[in-house]
Amino acid sequence: MMIRVEGLSHGILSVPILSIPNGLCVVTGRNGSGKTTLLRLLAGISVPERGSITVDGRDPATLERGFVHEFPGKNSLFSIVSQEVASPLWFRHALCEEVERAVSRAARSVGIEGLLSREVRNLSGGEQVLCALATAVVGNPALLVLDEWDSHLDSDTAVHAEACIRAMQIPHVVWCTQDMDIAASADYVVFMEGGRVRYSGTPLSVFPALKDTCWYPPSWRWREWSSSSTVSS
Amino acid sequence: MELVLDRVLVKRGEVSIRASCAFSPGVHLVTGSVGAGKSTLALVAAGLLPPTEGSVERRGIARSMLLFQFPELHLTEKTIREEISSFGVPVDGVLSRSGLFGRGEEDPLSLSRGELKRLLLSCVLARDDDLLILDEPFSGLDCTGRLRLCREIGKKRGGIVILCTHERHFLPRVDVIWEFEDHTLACRGRVPEAIASWQGAPAGIKALVAAGQVPQNVSFEDIGEAACRTRD
Repeated sequence: MMIRVEGLSHGILSVPILSIPNGLCVVTGRNGSGKTTLLRLLAGISVPERGSITVDGRDPATLERGFVHEFPGKNSLFSIVSQEVASPLWFRHALCEEVERAVSRAARSVGIEGLLSREVRNLSGGEQVLCALATAVVGNPALLVLDEWDSHLDSDTAVHAEACIRAMQIPHVVWCTQDMDIAASADYVVFMEGGRVRYSGTPLSVFPALKDTCWYPPSWRWREWSSSSTVSS
Repeated sequence: MELVLDRVLVKRGEVSIRASCAFSPGVHLVTGSVGAGKSTLALVAAGLLPPTEGSVERRGIARSMLLFQFPELHLTEKTIREEISSFGVPVDGVLSRSGLFGRGEEDPLSLSRGELKRLLLSCVLARDDDLLILDEPFSGLDCTGRLRLCREIGKKRGGIVILCTHERHFLPRVDVIWEFEDHTLACRGRVPEAIASWQGAPAGIKALVAAGQVPQNVSFEDIGEAACRTRD
């Protein structure tokens, strides 16, 4: 079971073939390289001009999906956090008790129980992102797409968020990030350049090619520095 | 020239953010985890949020600028060209520095997040403000953009630059390190002495300090240089 892209051509994007296995996949690359366009297609928000995308053999638009946008402040529709998290279930007329249960579960899964009665606009940038994550997972998605949402998280919070997401056991998580330490811990990495997939594979197969660039994971660089010196981290 | 926050307290929900500090000319790094108070400090320093208690005094500061964490909050114009003009800076220079040459007539909202951030950074860095406050300027930039921004900040001379960020790997050379501790701003002092007492320092810097090799400054190059010194 996997995400398959075939003969895709859409705007600046051109991806003849790409297979992403189950688990956490990081999409990264330079600003303007087509990452957001690819993510929107994978999430079924846009339809490819040419080519096909399937998730476990199905059209992504037919799956339960969660999406966290790159402008978290713009994600929210409601003023109170608990209402915002509940909104996807309200829109499908779920029963009140079911909504309540799902909201507490989602809030617990990302550690924002303490924020549920707060106003979304009074949250910090990072807290708004966690609220958007809880909203994205409240409906138990089979595919979770995160578009550079972690640029507003400090690295401790980003690590916390990654652990939360892994614990949810969502079959497919596609995470666009500029944090190469997150990328290094992913199951699969897709590195984009000028609308094309430049490298794809496990972190161990992708990053050695980027060793002399700022894209090399800082934690790996550090490990190598310290293994050839007296410093231990 | 000096920005003085005298026993400032800002209430945000259940949380009280406190700062009593003076910022002199130079680059000030303000660190702290999400929700610690960095953006609140940026708003208070810029004069956009009156403190609940205490006072803010600007001594000899005529012009100031705040770059918001979310770049779309700055947008007021329909085209990139008009947006740049609204900052009172030369349009063509900013277009080429932000990698958007030839795209002046496009809608700023058609840019990707990283491109928008790069555009607004070029606008604020092209100005000559006495006080420049950058709230999370690295977020949304790829690593090449982060390194370039570090070099640009390093070129700023004369004014006060307050850099509020959680970035850990790509930082510019800075003069003073500040840190939020339980929502209270604490000064760690001038660099390099401040580096040893920086509690939230990235793991790499902490390991260097523990090994007795305090880097000269906090930039990517300085840390790499200090790491090389530890090799036999």
